[in-house]
Amino acid sequence: MSSWLDYTINGLIVGNVYALVAVGLALIFGVSRLINFAQGSIYLVGAYIGWVAVVQLHTPLPLTIIVVAAAAAIVGLIIERFGLRPLQNSVRIAPLLATIGISFVLDQLVMLTFSPNPRALPSQLPDVRFQVGGGTIGPLDLLIAGVGLTSALLLFVFLRYSKLGWAVRAASQDRDAAMQMGVDVNRVNQAVFGIAAALGGVSGMLVGMYYNQIDTAMSLQATLKGVVAEVVGGAGNVPGAVIGSLLLGLVESYGVAVFGTSYRNLFAFLLLVVVLVLRPNGLFASARQAPPEPLTGTFIAPSRPVRIPRWALLLAAASFAVLPFFPVSFYVLQTLINAWLLGMLALSLTLVAGTMGQVSLGHAALLAIGAYTSALLSLTLNVPVGLAIIAGGLMSAALGTLLISPSFRLRGHYVSIATLAIGEIVSLVILNWESVTRGPIGISGIPPLSLFGYDLISPTAIYWFSFAVMVVLALLQGRLLSSHLGRSFRAIRDDDIAARAYGLSLNRYKSLAFIFGGFAAGVSGGIAAHLYSYINHETFNTQQSILALTVVILGGLGNVVGAILGAVALVGLPEVFRIAAEYRILIYGIVLLLLVRFRPQGLLGTI
Amino acid sequence: MSNIDRRTLVKGSLAAMMAGAAFSRAAFADAEPILLGVSGPLTGPNAQYGTQWKQGFDLALDEIHAAGGINGRKLAYQFEDSQSDPRQSVAIAQKFVSNPAIVLELGDFSSPASMAASPIYQRAGLVQFGFTNSHPDFTKGGDFMWSTSVSQADEQPLLASYAVKRLGLKKLAVLHLNTDWGRTSRDYFVNAAKEYGAEIAVTEGYIAEERDFRSTLVRVRDANPDGLILISYYSDGALIARQARQVGLKQVICAASSVYSPKFLELGGEAVEDVHVGTRYFPEDPRPEVQKFIAGFKKKYNGQEPDAFNAYAYDAMNMAAAVVKIGGTDRKAIRDAFAKVKDVPSVIFGTATFDVATRRVKGAMNAELVVRKGQFALWDGKPT
Repeated sequence: MSSWLDYTINGLIVGNVYALVAVGLALIFGVSRLINFAQGSIYLVGAYIGWVAVVQLHTPLPLTIIVVAAAAAIVGLIIERFGLRPLQNSVRIAPLLATIGISFVLDQLVMLTFSPNPRALPSQLPDVRFQVGGGTIGPLDLLIAGVGLTSALLLFVFLRYSKLGWAVRAASQDRDAAMQMGVDVNRVNQAVFGIAAALGGVSGMLVGMYYNQIDTAMSLQATLKGVVAEVVGGAGNVPGAVIGSLLLGLVESYGVAVFGTSYRNLFAFLLLVVVLVLRPNGLFASARQAPPEPLTGTFIAPSRPVRIPRWALLLAAASFAVLPFFPVSFYVLQTLINAWLLGMLALSLTLVAGTMGQVSLGHAALLAIGAYTSALLSLTLNVPVGLAIIAGGLMSAALGTLLISPSFRLRGHYVSIATLAIGEIVSLVILNWESVTRGPIGISGIPPLSLFGYDLISPTAIYWFSFAVMVVLALLQGRLLSSHLGRSFRAIRDDDIAARAYGLSLNRYKSLAFIFGGFAAGVSGGIAAHLYSYINHETFNTQQSILALTVVILGGLGNVVGAILGAVALVGLPEVFRIAAEYRILIYGIVLLLLVRFRPQGLLGTI
Repeated sequence: MSNIDRRTLVKGSLAAMMAGAAFSRAAFADAEPILLGVSGPLTGPNAQYGTQWKQGFDLALDEIHAAGGINGRKLAYQFEDSQSDPRQSVAIAQKFVSNPAIVLELGDFSSPASMAASPIYQRAGLVQFGFTNSHPDFTKGGDFMWSTSVSQADEQPLLASYAVKRLGLKKLAVLHLNTDWGRTSRDYFVNAAKEYGAEIAVTEGYIAEERDFRSTLVRVRDANPDGLILISYYSDGALIARQARQVGLKQVICAASSVYSPKFLELGGEAVEDVHVGTRYFPEDPRPEVQKFIAGFKKKYNGQEPDAFNAYAYDAMNMAAAVVKIGGTDRKAIRDAFAKVKDVPSVIFGTATFDVATRRVKGAMNAELVVRKGQFALWDGKPT
């Protein structure tokens, strides 16, 4: 029994740590309806500023907190002013992409300044421990709890009783109406970003002290857990975020207690999916609350797509087809193979996210399902590789649609978060279902690509094969989009209530989109498995999902040619910047930001 | 690093560059350097390991050049950042195999990135020399895959012997990274420990991003072991040790050699005092190759202590030099030279010779260390 008390206390302690990030995320979401993917990076920046203050300047703790809060707030204000405000009137999805770009840039800046080696961030509090149950808690636990609860309370009071707080709430309910009533929305946004960033910075520093360790990889994890906690509590709801965090901590801790450590995150993400399915607005959304997403499809605003004449497309396709006859290096061909594989994934995502409006952040899971199916079929049952890849595509289509179906009733950002969780769940199942997937050891010795008994091993052959498959998928998708199916998809995206009133069955059409998209992604994963000969649970990770979404937004949502163009650009750019060595991801992030800034509807525009 | 004044740093490196330039003009008159390709993480979540590789490589190269280079030619490497991502490592592999100047490839870091590139190196006939690749299937990729990574089949029984035979632990809790390395290691450890007569109370695998181990440690406590075995890297190893002490676990902790780093001491603080570590070398080791490595490293990097990954990279570059000395610049001859090269001085192995059947090196050195007063010291046999 006493162990359960310990698990409970541990869960609350960790939940406490998550709450610090979740509160900042909730605040920003509450006002600008934006999941700030840069929050984890601000947390990282705060941790390193804290390190400079503590280790180099030897500041006492209260001063350290003030320094970190002020510096992080400045970073937040800069992000708001230069990263997000220019995107105010553009598509809703652009700021989301901008925060991803900003987080690349911030993480890289920290890494370049401080080196990627982890550092110790000594706690400045006396090392006394209080016995609670079978374990102990220290003063830092209390401080973190204090900061979390106090800030949530202060924010609550601020939002409810101060004039600026009213303005914040007014702006979050209806931006245009608030502006008409004389609220300076920019000032509100500034205030919110400053407060959230200060909180994010301080939390990064406190968590660094808590573990006596800071490193540049902490940013993505913080964002992921923070987002989960925030959404469980009810996005945009500050006290809800705190309770959501504690609940997340408890569920993880009990998950470890019952099933073991390697199942920990599985429970975190299952909790999220269950909450979203049962209470799509989070646990603590009141019935009176305005719906979190607009009812009509302003999430993805239509724009005028760039019309590319047919002859130009044919010319481009022909020149890529004959490229291997010219003296190009295998390196270029291999890079393009990567682009074609990413292109297939982007085709899939642009269909479900762009055409259908279901912005998925877990698309790498479809790759993984296709890759594992194809690899295992060809290895254990000696299925010919060509057939195995097709089976991988079909499995991805079936299983992917089945897994994603609980999120069909969700809208806007909630779809993204649910799919993010489903993606993580798939990867954790692969890690833990050892009898089938071989767990962390992975699958090695996957046979190379072959077609009708001929092995495709030269880069030229693989190039043609993957290019052909991608072109076929793209043509099919183009055909699909111009049929009545494509029009129905877009109708649902633009206004699902009107579409339903018109007699369209939303779930059926969403399933169709995921079946087609799942097939394309599964085929891409299958080809990748045979190309690499070795895969494990890390081969298709969250970064892949984020990359795929970046490609799709960059190319123009729903735009088939745009998806392929985006894939070529995002595979090519980091290779082009290779000359810049350690700086290349920084440059990539900046280029991405500039593209979002000046072409928020994507290179070729939304269709 | 961060404590040094920037001006000293600039002056220092300028002086080094000038010295290097002058030296190269004198000793290596007109020959182009022999080029090695390195594929590894310089950005992304594993960036720290790529940085550590570079330090080890650069030190080894300084020594190789001071000794006259390879038959009068310099050795150089081209480091391409893969972020340990298989998509990028395969592109880098094509880049390297199609560059005739590159005679040998080193890396990559993680198994997915390395083994995805193996078919390309194998078909093109360029040796892929993976010096951190402990995955049992890595060298099965073909006869161009060679590895000096310490086989876990060798290392884990040594650790088990330290824990069970020497420290007298009878009931063990094993915490391991849930990666291919951690999993393979755990299995070898558990088998060896059972053979030596210990009982395995509980094993817990955790993912690399994990920060919080309190609930895991409650499970460990309830299994009531007399010792904790950490199959961890230094950052997660330090986290576990700290949290174990914080929740009041007082058992003996014994860790795999991968935690052997000054960072383990820095990150763990007082909590890692009395932690036992089975390593391949130790600072006071009288072996000349160890003394040369540690002294050289501290001198080159402002007193910084080297860690396990620095040592792997240093050894790998020395091995590459020895192989190129025999094989010349022909890729196939270099592959054959791996089978011929004998008794190359090595920090990890003492002297390294490849087993031609497995294309790995057997017989890693063993040192039994313990953390005493914030330093790694040879264990004196006294109970902790």
